[in-house]
Amino acid sequence: MFLQVLGHVLITSDLWQAALQFAALLLLPALGGVISERSGVVNIAMEGMMLIGAYAGVMVAVATHNILLGVLGAMIAGGLLALVHAIVSINFMANQTVSGIAINIAALGLTNFLLPIQTNGQGITALDSSLRLPQAALGPLAHIPFIGPVLFQQNILFYVVVLIVILLHFLLFRTNIGLRIRAVGEHPQAADTAGVNVRLVRYLCVVSSGLLSGLAGAFLSLGIAGIFNQDMTAGQGYIALAAMIFGKYTPFGAAGACIVFGLGEALSPRLQDTGISANLLSTLPYLLTLVALVGLVGRTMAPAADGVPYEPAAE
Amino acid sequence: MAMPTVQRRTSTPASRLTRWMHTLKSSLGRPLIAVLVAFILGMIIVMIASPGALGDRFNTAVSAYYNLVMGSFGNIQSISYTLAKTTPLIFTGLAVALAYRAGLFNIGAAGQLAVGAMVAGIIGLKLGSLPGVILVPMMLVASMLAGAFWGSIVGILKAWRGAHEVVTSIMLNWIAFYVCAALVEGPFQAPGLSQQTTPLSASATLPSLANLYNQTLGTIFGQIPLAAQYTVDVSLLLAFVALVVYWFLTSRTTFGYSLRVIGQNPKAARYAGISVKRNLVLAMALAGAFAGLAGATRLMGQSPYQLISSGFSSDSTGFDAIGVALLGRTTAIGVILSALLFGGLQQAGPFLQLNVGVPGDLIYILQALVLFAVAVEYVPSFQRFLPPFMRRTKPVLAPPLVPNLIKSEALLEHASGSSTAGPPEATLTDNSVGATDAPTPATSQED
Repeated sequence: MFLQVLGHVLITSDLWQAALQFAALLLLPALGGVISERSGVVNIAMEGMMLIGAYAGVMVAVATHNILLGVLGAMIAGGLLALVHAIVSINFMANQTVSGIAINIAALGLTNFLLPIQTNGQGITALDSSLRLPQAALGPLAHIPFIGPVLFQQNILFYVVVLIVILLHFLLFRTNIGLRIRAVGEHPQAADTAGVNVRLVRYLCVVSSGLLSGLAGAFLSLGIAGIFNQDMTAGQGYIALAAMIFGKYTPFGAAGACIVFGLGEALSPRLQDTGISANLLSTLPYLLTLVALVGLVGRTMAPAADGVPYEPAAE
Repeated sequence: MAMPTVQRRTSTPASRLTRWMHTLKSSLGRPLIAVLVAFILGMIIVMIASPGALGDRFNTAVSAYYNLVMGSFGNIQSISYTLAKTTPLIFTGLAVALAYRAGLFNIGAAGQLAVGAMVAGIIGLKLGSLPGVILVPMMLVASMLAGAFWGSIVGILKAWRGAHEVVTSIMLNWIAFYVCAALVEGPFQAPGLSQQTTPLSASATLPSLANLYNQTLGTIFGQIPLAAQYTVDVSLLLAFVALVVYWFLTSRTTFGYSLRVIGQNPKAARYAGISVKRNLVLAMALAGAFAGLAGATRLMGQSPYQLISSGFSSDSTGFDAIGVALLGRTTAIGVILSALLFGGLQQAGPFLQLNVGVPGDLIYILQALVLFAVAVEYVPSFQRFLPPFMRRTKPVLAPPLVPNLIKSEALLEHASGSSTAGPPEATLTDNSVGATDAPTPATSQED
């Protein structure tokens, strides 16, 4: 019974389309995490940055009647929150985990605090379709059976995410900049000696993680949901964190992890009838990540200087 | 530099008093500054967000804080509510604090709390016909065991696989939330309802303090009128027991001493013959037991006495605990005080909306600001921004957190003046920061 339903569900293009959409949504903050942690700053605040991005995206889009400004606003909001994380953890050498938790609490508090004030207690109604990120079919490619709907009839941000992941991989592993980022994350003293500005690199990386997470927030509120709800990220930032680790701190690894986790998320509502609890299915990403951490499927190692504040010796 | 270490060894009552005053000042001063900074920033946020002229905005902010105070400690009834909210924060605060002593960052208190509540709930529902004298202790012990089990997974993964505890405990949190939700919506679902269990039978619940008093001492000394309005239950007393146990463990036993050594310097601990792995697992198990109790006591002591499937992941107690433990500098007294602060905030939040028109979620912003302020304030780099008279130049006369065996080494270090990190607090937030395998405190601030 279960296998029958599963087999039937697995060959529907509808499932894979949804899975890839979830994957793209998770991948943005996961990539943000990759770039931040590669530079040596622990970032567990993607959840909060995503939430504030989702909120700012909707508010700006509604206020300006411009979807592009909305997306931009979402990224800036995420980036600003990340900037707080950067200042606190790089300059003030605060515990980065504490700062991350504080950001997550602050984002939840801020959005819940501002929502009734900015909407006079009304909350936000569903967005007009002109203010939503559209689905975009890529010309003739979209008509290929199965592959067409799965890969080429996605939300417009999906294609952006695909571009970003390729670019980020190239940036991290094929360019000078990427080498510097990784050097700062692995051995900041050595990087410093070689003339790399450790703090600047870390600042840029942490803020980028905020921009990416903010973009994910816009994807969620302006793209997928078309509305902002309180606490609408509901732990997706943490799944992204899991994806980052499961993907061994690499862009493509994170992408693979996100596809697996996205498939899980897309499957659970479709398997309701089989009696498999959606709740139990939701534990899958976390279980897989634990297994990866324990080293049963290849050990996951964080960058060597991840989470260690760096203070130049000269000071 | 050598002077303080010499003074420390003479133990006249006067010197003891000065030392005590120093400790008090150093342990109270900075958290107070953190809270003050957070509240001033919160005030600015309220003033930005509220309408009207500058004077009106200021008045709104002032009356918001007035309502926070009155709503939490304004009268006996609200104090009782505040204490009811404080109790789980004490338990989870201890769960975070104990792990922190060993250099572990337990952000898994939320998950440990969830499994504790779940297991207590299962026993309460399945064996509800047993008399309370047997049932209640059974539920409490079971919740401790469940929490300890969940916590020790983190410790085991850390000790034997080097998996970072922050990451594993986040994963275990969500696994706990979903598994508990699946249990509530599955085998333990109340008939006719989809997302909750049936309420516990009366024998499985904890009485409120007021009712307990009325039934016992009250029969002699006179009854408390309208006892039903005082909701704080006997788990507050359990929380005090837990605090004493925590204090005793951490400051009067070898185990507590070993934990601190491990937290300060795992290598030194290993050289001193302390089993790091065993102690890490034990610390996480005990931490989990505290958090498990938080789940059980709230389920058993507070209305609605039932488990709700969405309640596990939306419960912020496990995360608030981090603020409680850090603000309380992982001491028993500190945990009480900061749990009262956080509990009071949570109790008073709704009054903001009601009386001032400021959304009650302001309290979460305040909590986050407190966390930021706490995370920042220990760090020596921050001292550069302080005026000279506020900087701590001389090492405080607190005992060094090193084992007896290597005490002489530490004394040498003190004497040569190479150690700038005299006070134990200085290393609290520096170590155990990130994904390094072993927390190495105070390395970055030395040179």
